[in-house]
Amino acid sequence: MITLWVAAGALSAAAAVIILLRAAGAASNAGSSDPTLEVYRRQLKELDALADSGLIDKTDHATAKVEASRRLLGAADQAIAPWTAPAAQGPWVGAVIALVGASALALYLVVGSPGFRDQPMAARIAQWRSAPTAGLSAPEMVAVLKQVTAPRQDPEGFRYLALAEVQSENLSGAARALRRAIVLAPQRSDLWEMLGEVLVMQANGQEAGAAQTAFQEALKRDPKSMTARFHLARGKDQAGDRDGAVAMLRALQTELPPSDSRRQDLEQSIKEILSPHLAQPSASPAPGGDQMAVIRNMVAGLAEKLKTNPDDPEGWVRLVRSYAVLGDRTARDAALAQARGRYRGRADIMSQLDAASKAEAMK
Amino acid sequence: MIVEFGSFALVLAFCLSLAQACLSGIGRWRRSSILAGAGEGAALAAFLAVALAFAALMHAFITSDFSVANVAANSHTEKPLLYKIAGTWGSHEGSMLLWCLALTGFGSAIAGFGRNLPKGLKSLGVMTQGVLGTVFLGYTVLASNPFVRLARIPVEGHSLNPLLQDPALAVHPPFLYAGYVGLSVVFSLAVAALIEGRVDAAWARWVRPWTLAAWSLLTIGIMMGSFWAYYELGWGGWWFWDPVENASFMPWLIATALLHSAVVTEKRGALPGWTVFLAISAFTFSMLGAFLVRSGVLTSVHAFAVDPTRGALLLGILALTAGSAFSLFAWRAPVLAPGGVFAPISRESALVMNNILLATATVMVLLGTLFPLIREAVSGTPISVGAPYFNLIFLPLMAVMIVLLPAGPLLSWKRADAKGVYQRLIFAALSGVGIALLVYALVSPRKALASAGLGLAVWLIFGALTEVAERTRFLRGSTGEFWRRVTGLPRGAWGMTLAHLGLGIFILGACFETGWRVEAAETLPIGGQLKVGAYELTLDRVAAVDGPNFDAERGLITARKAGIDICRPSPERRFYPAGGQTTSEVAICTLGLNHLYVVLGERRMGPTAPVWLVRAYWNPLAILIFLGPLTMALGGFLSLSDRRLRLAVGQRTAKTS
Repeated sequence: MITLWVAAGALSAAAAVIILLRAAGAASNAGSSDPTLEVYRRQLKELDALADSGLIDKTDHATAKVEASRRLLGAADQAIAPWTAPAAQGPWVGAVIALVGASALALYLVVGSPGFRDQPMAARIAQWRSAPTAGLSAPEMVAVLKQVTAPRQDPEGFRYLALAEVQSENLSGAARALRRAIVLAPQRSDLWEMLGEVLVMQANGQEAGAAQTAFQEALKRDPKSMTARFHLARGKDQAGDRDGAVAMLRALQTELPPSDSRRQDLEQSIKEILSPHLAQPSASPAPGGDQMAVIRNMVAGLAEKLKTNPDDPEGWVRLVRSYAVLGDRTARDAALAQARGRYRGRADIMSQLDAASKAEAMK
Repeated sequence: MIVEFGSFALVLAFCLSLAQACLSGIGRWRRSSILAGAGEGAALAAFLAVALAFAALMHAFITSDFSVANVAANSHTEKPLLYKIAGTWGSHEGSMLLWCLALTGFGSAIAGFGRNLPKGLKSLGVMTQGVLGTVFLGYTVLASNPFVRLARIPVEGHSLNPLLQDPALAVHPPFLYAGYVGLSVVFSLAVAALIEGRVDAAWARWVRPWTLAAWSLLTIGIMMGSFWAYYELGWGGWWFWDPVENASFMPWLIATALLHSAVVTEKRGALPGWTVFLAISAFTFSMLGAFLVRSGVLTSVHAFAVDPTRGALLLGILALTAGSAFSLFAWRAPVLAPGGVFAPISRESALVMNNILLATATVMVLLGTLFPLIREAVSGTPISVGAPYFNLIFLPLMAVMIVLLPAGPLLSWKRADAKGVYQRLIFAALSGVGIALLVYALVSPRKALASAGLGLAVWLIFGALTEVAERTRFLRGSTGEFWRRVTGLPRGAWGMTLAHLGLGIFILGACFETGWRVEAAETLPIGGQLKVGAYELTLDRVAAVDGPNFDAERGLITARKAGIDICRPSPERRFYPAGGQTTSEVAICTLGLNHLYVVLGERRMGPTAPVWLVRAYWNPLAILIFLGPLTMALGGFLSLSDRRLRLAVGQRTAKTS
């Protein structure tokens, strides 16, 4: 706060100097003549110049000159009381300066907030990045992730950003982040799936054209994509093709192992299609909550998936990068070691793994 | 620290303005150079303080410091830098700070550059600026403080209204405010002259450069606002007689009248009372505009967020300042010396007619703007006074003025020869009538009014050129004499010609665009076509676009004429998630002086595929509508550079002689 008072004092002093210099300058110029006479003299000269150039005729010139001369004489005859510069008034100026400074200080203490520091966004984000991530709100997480992802152009970062945007109820921001991620990694079907899901949420559960396009793109890249096929089936239903929708869902059901809990969900969806009055509003992600927990769960899900299906080089790269972004070095190193062991001799994958392990942490 | 420093600087500026008013007033009363000089110093220091406060607020916008309530309400981290900067004056509080910056800037300009002014007039002028600075800074500090802090700081701001996120509108307010507030100098010099009891030719000369500067800036400001409305609102129009547009137009009309009236006072010493009245009125209309835009009495795309309490305070400021000035006028005007006499046919009479017509037009615009508000307040029934009223009342008055205008500069002072002027203008008159009849007969008899407007524009343009030709004896003397006269002609005369030409150019564009505009609208699927005038537009595709702070659909359109590709307009429909607002981004193809103007509307579901509403306008000579006012403003600046009006010329001459 001391800087504020020093700066305020310097400004007040500068104002005082300007006032004093101006007063001193005016005092030395107290006896200067009335400039009115000069204006009328100049008018006479201008009239002559115009006449010399032929721009006014002689009659007009003569008439105008008589009038201007009359004004000059009238102004010269006017008795103007002289201006003075009594030195005794100097202290009065000093008193006014002191009063201005004191009044400004008093008024500032009433209307200002001297205890408040500046809060530029960059400094706030730096503060959030150094704080425990579990304590961050969804919008704070969005702000951090925006800063982290922007320079790196990392699709994984944009995916996290999209998740945080969903949590902070900014579906448009989530879609935008996903579109950026897709530009960087157009072959990733999971990004297309997520984009489709966000677009469905944006459309209040309607499988709109853009969402369906996203799911079709996902399906092109991963023909087994459960999410994409599920939503495309719902899209068929909403377009009036109930039979087509049910057929797609039944096909999905048969591909799942009997113990998979998702079979029941699919069964429920089929029932709802066949009997629309049974339909329940689909649950949307709960706003707020522990954002880091959501992201960590997602990473844990990926790790589980790799346990059951370890031959997924892209998945290992994502897992290593995720741990790196989350700042979990132990997990990152463990995943990296596992992946290196699995893909020893594959230079392309090893270099991707190395790059992923060096991803900048959020904090 | 920077925000709080800005807050302190603003408070200091308020105290300095108060000191400025007191020191200058007492300085004049005691005829003390020391006190008057200290008042001038306070004016300079107040400007410095407001400039620092403004810079501090701008810094808060640039760094997205959402602990400042004003920044949180009007900015967003994703906003492009230009609009973060423009956000500084995009809100009620920020725009008041801009107003105060201009006000103290002009106050310090009188103090710093008014060395050729008599001491009494100058100190009273600085005093009046100090009083204005005190009330407006007091209002800003106490009722509209842009530095108020938030205890709970939001993570993200609410962003600026997307309609205001536009390059033209980013620079429009500074010009407009410089024009509005520039008129405060004229107001202050009028009040000073009334107190001194001296309104003469010299006073008129001192007032003229300030009026010219304010008028030129206001002209540019209004033109930019009109251009923004033209391409941003997507309605294809450029003037809507919107109450807020009227609020900026009224001071412009009065300032135009003042420019002409001040010439009569300067050259002949006549009309001193009327000129002072106009000088007070011009800034009064500026303050009225500030009140209308901020009080909540108007609903307009241009209006700031509305706040009746602060509106009442602004009304109080208006009543206090303008009421005091007009009371002073009523008290002191009788002592002003009457000026020179003149015959009914003279340049003075022409300028008086110009003033009567401009003043009447202003009153009519004022009535049309305020009547709905008064009626609603009295009866509770809202009514709307739209373009038909203004066109019916305003246009005939202006038509009469334009008919008289070319004659004015050709008339002699005091007593003139009407027949001689008629003979000199016969070519311009015949050209105007000829063009009007030709267009009426050959192009479209249904466009009689537009044809008449074109005739008036041609009359005005040729009339202005005739005046220059007469003064330079073009084709009537030797080449040497012609060049001697051309080089001898003062810049003020060239400036006047340019301003009159600019008006003619504007009328030409306005009549053409209004009379012969072609409009078409249709819902188009991809590949669909729309015909507007001689052009055929094809909607090739619609692409999703991620803007810096918006999502958009961009229509990629090909415009063809007789099968030949002419241009590829790409209008957008933007969605700004921060505020949840949707806007249209018009695409304009400039073809010569004409515009092909295309708007992409909302997407709908067609029978088999999505369709988009596409509207297109063929706006012939639309560029002239904006080129005209620019030419007028250029004329104003050229006149301002006339050495006769240079501010310190008296001082310099006195030193050299």
